[in-house]
Amino acid sequence: MQVPGDIQIIKEDNVTHSFCGLACVGWMYQKIKDSFFLILGTHTCAHFLQNALGMMIFAKPRFGIALMEEGDLSKNEPTLQEIISEIKADHNPSVIFLLSSCTPEVMKVDFKGLAHHLSTPEVPVLFVPASGLVYNFTQAEDSVLAALVPFCPQAPAGEKKVVFLGSVNDSTADDLRAEAEELGIAVGGFLPESRFDRMPAIGPDTVLAPIQPYLSRVAVKLSRERGCSVLHSLFPFGPDGTRAFWEDLAREFGITVDLRDREKAAWEKIRKQTDLLKGKKVFFTADTMMELPLARFLHNAGADVVECSSAYIIKKFHARELEALDGVRVVEQPNFHRQLEDVRRIKPDLIVTSLMTANPFVGNGFVVKWSMEFMLMPIHSWSGVISLANLFVSPLQRRSKLPAFDEKVWLEGIMPSAE
Amino acid sequence: MRLAFWLYEGTALHGISRVTNSMKGVHTVYHAPQGDDYITATYTMLERTPQFPGLSISVVRGRDLAQGVSRLPTTLQQVDHHYHPELIVIAPSCSTALLQEDLHQLAAHSGVPNERLMVYALNPFRVSENEAADGLFTELVKRYAVTQEKTPVPSVNILGFTSLGFHLRANLTSITRMLQTLGITVNVVAPWGSSIEDLGRLPAAWLNIAPYQEIGVNAAAYLEESFSMPSLTQAPLGVEPTMAWLRSLIEKLNAIAAQRGVPPLSMPNLKAFSLDGLSAPSGVPWFARTADMESFSNKKAFVFGDATHTVGIVKFLRDELGMQIIGAGTYLEQHADWVRKELEGYLPGALMVTDRFQDVAQVIEDEMPDLVCGTQMERHSCRKLDVPCMVVCPPTHIENHLLGYYPFFGFAGADVIADRVYLSCKLGLEKHLIDFFGDAGLEYEEGASSVEGDVAPSDSNEQASETVGSEVTDLPDDGEMKWSDEAETMLKKVPFFVRKKVRKNTDTFARSIGEPVVTVDVFRKAKESLGG
Repeated sequence: MQVPGDIQIIKEDNVTHSFCGLACVGWMYQKIKDSFFLILGTHTCAHFLQNALGMMIFAKPRFGIALMEEGDLSKNEPTLQEIISEIKADHNPSVIFLLSSCTPEVMKVDFKGLAHHLSTPEVPVLFVPASGLVYNFTQAEDSVLAALVPFCPQAPAGEKKVVFLGSVNDSTADDLRAEAEELGIAVGGFLPESRFDRMPAIGPDTVLAPIQPYLSRVAVKLSRERGCSVLHSLFPFGPDGTRAFWEDLAREFGITVDLRDREKAAWEKIRKQTDLLKGKKVFFTADTMMELPLARFLHNAGADVVECSSAYIIKKFHARELEALDGVRVVEQPNFHRQLEDVRRIKPDLIVTSLMTANPFVGNGFVVKWSMEFMLMPIHSWSGVISLANLFVSPLQRRSKLPAFDEKVWLEGIMPSAE
Repeated sequence: MRLAFWLYEGTALHGISRVTNSMKGVHTVYHAPQGDDYITATYTMLERTPQFPGLSISVVRGRDLAQGVSRLPTTLQQVDHHYHPELIVIAPSCSTALLQEDLHQLAAHSGVPNERLMVYALNPFRVSENEAADGLFTELVKRYAVTQEKTPVPSVNILGFTSLGFHLRANLTSITRMLQTLGITVNVVAPWGSSIEDLGRLPAAWLNIAPYQEIGVNAAAYLEESFSMPSLTQAPLGVEPTMAWLRSLIEKLNAIAAQRGVPPLSMPNLKAFSLDGLSAPSGVPWFARTADMESFSNKKAFVFGDATHTVGIVKFLRDELGMQIIGAGTYLEQHADWVRKELEGYLPGALMVTDRFQDVAQVIEDEMPDLVCGTQMERHSCRKLDVPCMVVCPPTHIENHLLGYYPFFGFAGADVIADRVYLSCKLGLEKHLIDFFGDAGLEYEEGASSVEGDVAPSDSNEQASETVGSEVTDLPDDGEMKWSDEAETMLKKVPFFVRKKVRKNTDTFARSIGEPVVTVDVFRKAKESLGG
């Protein structure tokens, strides 16, 4: 048995193509429906949100930028009162999340004080550290959830319930809840729930079950502040991860279940997909921090994961996934230039990579999958097994059906700077 | 400080990278925190670049700042080692500009030879996309253009065509085809597809074509001043402007030809500019005269966009299609004077100059034009109001980056624009039928459109599910006026495509006379008062 922490992780210099934490606004404002996300930031932050996530504005967008212009740089403290009033008048939110970004952090804006000052008992303003100086992509969800902790009621001692940690859509949440109840596990709710005033009660006998792999900080915070226990298992992706997740969670509740048959049946259901994945070389370039569990599923499905890179690997939080990835090349904070050379040498059959790098990899002759899609698809637990497998298989299948492609002919003139 | 949701212009880096991504052998290194290279996605996803854009980030982490470490020298070494660019442009981000680091000194520490580095340290808080792109392109031209022999035959450079430009490749094709027809050689296209060496060759051409006010005219002005190269800075947008553009081009080149003793160019039969060489080069002049287009005489249009397209489209709609212009505006304050001058006599009021899309949306809502020509943002605002809208300039959306040949420039461009106007507006005989009979049997169309429209329950405001590259349509605000059932039935008899407008006008009317509910009576009064 391998001791967690012994696994060889190659660490590089974090030159990756990935988004900053502000990206979390894209799904968090949709998840928490009575919220407003206010970013104190610059033109860059606004341009990012409107472009990179393919997001357009709504009739009543529930996110916005308090735009810092040149004149604001010399001010000691940004004055947000008017903007907050405008948001309240137009949107009537129950909570406003105030997200930091790089520029005000360089200016050392006292965000905690600012949020505190703007808060009212009716509409709290919660500080969410999200800047690209510290966090990337999915990690700011961790910050949002941490900011919500004071609004989770205290669950009394003896109230043994599971609280699932991570934002998923309502139908996935329903599935997880039903599955838990079927196993005899009492469900306390989800952090986050879809309304601010319905955050779950958490106390010393709560079992926190992380369902997304990028939420380690809030898990630690809750176990420290509320004394709750944190499930350390595989994340519930794929037949293997799902079985381990539910068996381990049940054990926390003193329930012994054997889900071997269920796992077997789930593998059986995706036999066609795994047959195709067997022996296929898959490369993860690092983007969403979902790479470890996704690579573990592929590894167990018989694929050859030639590199699993992830922006951050938290040894304790990810211990079980790392164990399951024994023998796979795992890289933390990878260097993209190096990856590019390795990819050209190794010639993987499939590359899971960011929105920024996907098409150029295709142009270089590879088959890709957008890493971000795994965040937007229902891939959790038993009900997500087929979706998960299909996400990996569909680009391979689709490619095999397309006619032969002579890049000398069909790429001509598309990017003259590269010719 | 202000609350912003959406901005028209991109950042300075967007401008810089648009130029460098256009060019061969040029790489941008962006000294910035993680995530600021999101900009890469605009190229790889909108332009679908099959290679990696020459853009690397020299990551600044909070920890580096605390320790006083800069990764810029290492990043420059890595970029040099992996990609061997001829030139690396180094740009600061908003956050690193505040740090006031000496980028020149940091760059020098990399050991990459100085002549292959260019620090473009503009202030990202002061300079936006177009100014940065134009500024960098001009700098590059100044740095590399050298005096040399002119080409023996009439030749031109085409300047300002830049990565992510609006209908860039089609416009370039349209211009190049016209030049081919005239027998004019293209010396260099820049920055799109040009190398450093190409920039060096710019002064070999006889003349510079720089049709975009936003990018390229300053480089053309520099070349005119330093190398006595005349330039043509009008945009061939519309049939008449294209003819004027061709005449001006021939005239300017012939002046040089005369000096050099080269035979002059002449304007060929216009059929030569058509695709088959046998037809009129554009369908617009005849189209505009047809009885079908009579209904255009009282169509009201509002135009909002960058400088080049706002001017070109206003003129086209009024001069060539005979539409009424009820207003126009631009988000490019630095070009507002030029736009005003160009549009003198075209606008009923002052040019609108703003970078707040909400203000533009308000004007559209107040005026309810028959056609809006704008950016992706106006298209979005118009969708809410059910006002016909066509996108005529950046900022764009993935749906403006199409595969087909849809130029806006030249004769072919005039056809494309006129087609889009025609498809966007409701007009012709069909309009009369609908006006007269209420729906002309088209009522069923409303059933489909009302799914996203006026009768959706308010809680579905939240059902938006986002996927990459998609866009979520929106629902109208609550707080609308109450209508009695009878009044609703009456409203149904109004043609569906003006129903929203009528409802809105009636709401306003009811409020103005203090009526809490729109009844049949109020509706009739409104019709009388507002002229039906």
